[in-house]
Amino acid sequence: MEPLSSYLIVSSALLGIGIYGLVSKRNAIRLLFSVELIVNAANINFVAFARYSNPPILSGWDIVFYSVAAAAMEATVGLALILVAFRLNGTIDVRRLNRLRG
Amino acid sequence: MPDIAFLALSGLVIASAIFALEAKELIYGAVGLAFSLIGVAGLFVLLGAEYLAMFQVAVYVGAVVVLILFTIMLVQRESGRIVEEEEPGRLGRAGVLVAGLVALAVAGAVIILAPVSPEAPESYRVPLRELGVSLASSYAVALVILGLLIGATVLGGLTLAKIDREEKPSGTAQ
Amino acid sequence: MKRLQGLPTFQELVSLAVRIITSRTFLEIVVFPGLLNILLSAALLTWLERKVIARVQLRIGPLYAGMWGILQPIADGVKLMFKEMIFPELADAKLLMLCALSLMLIAAAPVVAIPFGDGLVIANMDIGLIYVFAVISLFPSVILLIGWGSNSKFSFLGGLRSLFQQVSYEIPMWLSVLGIVMLTGTLNLSQIVKAQQNVWFALPQVLGFVVFFTAVLAELERIPFDLPEAETELVMGWMTELSGVAFMLGFLAMYTKLYLMSALITTLFLGGWLGPFTVPQPVWFVLKTFVVASIIVIIRGSFPRVRVDLLLKAGWTRLLLLALANIFVTVVLILLGLDWVWRV
Repeated sequence: MEPLSSYLIVSSALLGIGIYGLVSKRNAIRLLFSVELIVNAANINFVAFARYSNPPILSGWDIVFYSVAAAAMEATVGLALILVAFRLNGTIDVRRLNRLRG
Repeated sequence: MPDIAFLALSGLVIASAIFALEAKELIYGAVGLAFSLIGVAGLFVLLGAEYLAMFQVAVYVGAVVVLILFTIMLVQRESGRIVEEEEPGRLGRAGVLVAGLVALAVAGAVIILAPVSPEAPESYRVPLRELGVSLASSYAVALVILGLLIGATVLGGLTLAKIDREEKPSGTAQ
Repeated sequence: MKRLQGLPTFQELVSLAVRIITSRTFLEIVVFPGLLNILLSAALLTWLERKVIARVQLRIGPLYAGMWGILQPIADGVKLMFKEMIFPELADAKLLMLCALSLMLIAAAPVVAIPFGDGLVIANMDIGLIYVFAVISLFPSVILLIGWGSNSKFSFLGGLRSLFQQVSYEIPMWLSVLGIVMLTGTLNLSQIVKAQQNVWFALPQVLGFVVFFTAVLAELERIPFDLPEAETELVMGWMTELSGVAFMLGFLAMYTKLYLMSALITTLFLGGWLGPFTVPQPVWFVLKTFVVASIIVIIRGSFPRVRVDLLLKAGWTRLLLLALANIFVTVVLILLGLDWVWRV
């Protein structure tokens, strides 16, 4: 039985990695990776807290259920947007996608 | 034994996450992301949420990773290779600094503010029946909204990704 | 022997190893219904397919390797193991080998949840059904990676088509077993088998059975859903650039998947290991599984190929509607109060 803090350390490490990816990567798809990592870190948090409460909180798992589905939706739309941006601009480098027109 | 499983799974999660961001090829990055998500599903199993773990594998690794791979292949195919020139300069170091600080702050807050780990029932497994009942009754509205969200996503994705073939002969880029 | 501080002695290690090897779990994992069973059944299915297809096409099939050609799979395996693995220069050899290996792993992993007898299951999971489907949903991504990593148009097209096909037919597959879950109230495969003591699920869930069978044919990329591997069009589809051991792994994975899906059909719809007590339960299970596999092989020899856009349309529209109709029928059954027949 791991103490709760071990799981929270893992999830904050994932959060850190996700933030690093968001800040320093140029490729739009890597930004999507980072977002998925951050969402997963939050999910680990939810499940860990739901499990380690006494009695265990059921809504923790419901929320993660919802979160996984919603994150999948968001990845879908994000990827469609990346495709469109690529077709219009020829690049998915987010430092060059900085014009609102065109 | 749970200690080894936990260490192995956490190692898999974090190492794959770092690999996903730092791999030279995007495809390898997507594979690393898949491994990281499978590791997270393993952590869910350790926490007793087996159904959630299977749900995560089926949705994330089975569908989202496929979408990502597919998009990477489409984006790379249309223009040769996308060479990623990462500047390991300012922004990379700033990113590491910010991320490290945030993670440290969160972890520190956790360890300082909650020094005693709450007592949890041993080897608890999520009762699947109660999960289903609560989803259908207490969170029924959320479930319906999720269904509508899925429909909207599919329609939106299809509309966005559609290629307008009839505009090509006109010669003007959009 | 001098005892190092804290480490076990050699005798203790040997006795521990002996205890592990003769333990029931180890025997289950390695011999039956685990590794040896999967490998032998997959090899046997390659032989069965060639023989049955041959008879359907008025030929004889493998004849010279052992009696009735039964040693043909071993001959093929030995030949493939000694062949040189040739990959195109621009293809990603490491990725291809890793993916071929994971194909075999993904195909063999769900077998741990399938019950071969009363209590004869490696992992009696309360979410067994979802586990099987979740692992099966990992196939399309690996196949896509193989198709793309081969750096060849044939392979990539084959991989894409396979991806579309398998993803489209996953949803009718999931929905068609929803009726079973509603009738038994459990996802545990052993319980589902036991719930069929009175009537097999093939009867009240006829629509679900048809939908599941069709979806399984599509997941296995078998005729009539053969387009990813259309032998006259795409060479070998996404497996074109694999050779030697990598090809053996991919080929064996296809037949392991066939074994897995037949075992799944048997478990869910045909009563699993249930049968008259004259014959032991695992024998019944294996018998039924091989009958289902033979039917799948006979279908291969009897139907033309479905065009890819019609295939996808059928998966997304008609099969989905049939699966929903099956759920409707199940709801009617439950409302009529007939579900006591299947409660354990």
